[in-house]
Amino acid sequence: MKAVGARLPRYDGIAHVTGRTVFVDDVRIPGTLWVKALRSPSHHAKITKLDTEPAERMKGVHAVVTHKDVPLNVYGHLSALGIPGDEPLLAEDVVRYKGQPIAIVAAESEELARAAVEAIVLSLDEQPALFDIRKAFDPDAPQVHHWGNWYPHFEAEMDRRQIRKGDIDAAFDQADTIVQGVYRPAAIEHVPLETQVCQVVPEPNGRLTIYSCTQALYFSMGVVAAHLQQPLNKFKFVGGTVGGGFGGKVDTATETMCCLLALKSGKPVKWRWTREEEFLCSSTRAPWHMEIADAVSKDGWILGRKMLTLHDSGAYCRFSPYGLTKHSFHHTGAYTIPNLSFDGYVVFTNRVPTTAMRGFGVTSVSFATETHLSRIAEVLGIDPFELRLKNANRIGDTSPNGVVYTDPSTVPTIQAIADSLGHELPGEYRAMTPAQREGQWLPDHLVSQLGNPEEH
Amino acid sequence: MNLTVNGVEREVESAPLTPLLFVLRDELEIESPKAGCQQGGCGACTVLVDGEPRRSCLTPVVTVEGSQITTVEGLGSAESLAPLQEAFTHHYAAQCGFCTTGMIVAAHAYIEHGGGEDREQIQHALGGHVCRCTGYVKIVDAIAAVARGDSFDLTLTAPSHDMTNVGGAK
Repeated sequence: MKAVGARLPRYDGIAHVTGRTVFVDDVRIPGTLWVKALRSPSHHAKITKLDTEPAERMKGVHAVVTHKDVPLNVYGHLSALGIPGDEPLLAEDVVRYKGQPIAIVAAESEELARAAVEAIVLSLDEQPALFDIRKAFDPDAPQVHHWGNWYPHFEAEMDRRQIRKGDIDAAFDQADTIVQGVYRPAAIEHVPLETQVCQVVPEPNGRLTIYSCTQALYFSMGVVAAHLQQPLNKFKFVGGTVGGGFGGKVDTATETMCCLLALKSGKPVKWRWTREEEFLCSSTRAPWHMEIADAVSKDGWILGRKMLTLHDSGAYCRFSPYGLTKHSFHHTGAYTIPNLSFDGYVVFTNRVPTTAMRGFGVTSVSFATETHLSRIAEVLGIDPFELRLKNANRIGDTSPNGVVYTDPSTVPTIQAIADSLGHELPGEYRAMTPAQREGQWLPDHLVSQLGNPEEH
Repeated sequence: MNLTVNGVEREVESAPLTPLLFVLRDELEIESPKAGCQQGGCGACTVLVDGEPRRSCLTPVVTVEGSQITTVEGLGSAESLAPLQEAFTHHYAAQCGFCTTGMIVAAHAYIEHGGGEDREQIQHALGGHVCRCTGYVKIVDAIAAVARGDSFDLTLTAPSHDMTNVGGAK
């Protein structure tokens, strides 16, 4: 345990400061071909014509790949967990977001690869596009997928993530006030300084060596193996050096397509996205729409919460059902609310697919909850620190999905924030600890939600 | 064309309008300058041209013919670190490391021009260098430490500058 609390030197610090860290773009492989993608110029369209022959005929173009070359084209990032695949690696008959890859080429230079992409003939039949998750449920909304505009495969084939806890109607009957709010954080692009980059080398023994900037190496290996319908031992992934990711390099954005081009051309290939591609085509943090109504007592107890969440998944689901599930489990933030009614939907739009970013699914609801608690304090005219401490998670309290807290840090965190701002707390709030509720901190409405921390 | 790169005269065959970044990386295989945005917006490709920081991605090689080019490799090596390299290590001023080399050469120019430990002046000098891991506090710590003339114990990481009173609250 010598490392805990010690100020250890960074194991890769000297390599970083001397320029000797080898990022994927720094790997030199002779004879490497450049990769470029034909991407959808439309947000939503039917593909009426795709002719790659003019590109294939160009001197110096070694491979062109479309959906016809992919052994398993439609797969999902969570397929291994039983979530049905919905996303084609390369678009087949429909494009559902601007920037979606349709065909990829490998050529002897970056300029030639770009010219080959421009030579591909593409005709589209434009379709109405859906951008606003709030309009997805309208009867006349543009249809993103043939099954509808929201994900239908939660447990028991429910079309939403649902949480019911306690007795929500009783809580709203008992409330002195109902405080409502709507919170809508926008999409955020991760902007890693290293754009998506991948190199793939076909080895003489038939294996592929993949230099990848992925944040999730074994996960990416599984995705590549599934699309290519090959066993895992065909792939040697070299990774671990990531020039910034923040969640945006969890998606397998480049590796599978580079493998297909390396196999088809028999040559090493390299794909380094431009900054423009990174902004337009890489996944983002999701926009969210959250509606909260809290039943509160005039002395600052939150008796119940009704919440509706719409999560913008973009055109395909990727990790969104997982992100929304985390969101639902954390939808009371760092506070204990005993009576809950939560409904959350993964909604599809004609936007770039969204993904993890720093606290996947939870940052959104933390923002909403903290803003909402300040609003409650304002409505009730009570101190926002006292409101937070009163309702803070304590040992033995239970989360929305019934997990018993054994070491919650809300109380010392709120106290530390008050201290750093020079905000004086009354004695009983200053003396509060995360210990199990009793006395004035255990009102009747919080008794039935208590669990046994010894059992966890 | 000839360039002097890190004190060594190099003959260059790339086309005249090739960005200096790719002459360094692809022809001379000096890979510390990074292709972050290729639009001059991130600072990861920064090198010194005759001692001044320049965005190598926007610099056609022909415009710097005959110049002295310095990259982080020219400041020091793992065996013999320059003070800024020691400072960035000791102060944990690199997270993913992708912006680090550009930050260090820009900081080198700041120190060489007599820059001091004032945090605002350091921030101004490093303007346009993006650290998307947002490690700015420690980067400024490292540069200020060199400006002060600190020496660095590379077996330890320094605590970071106290930012709890940034807004000036009492």
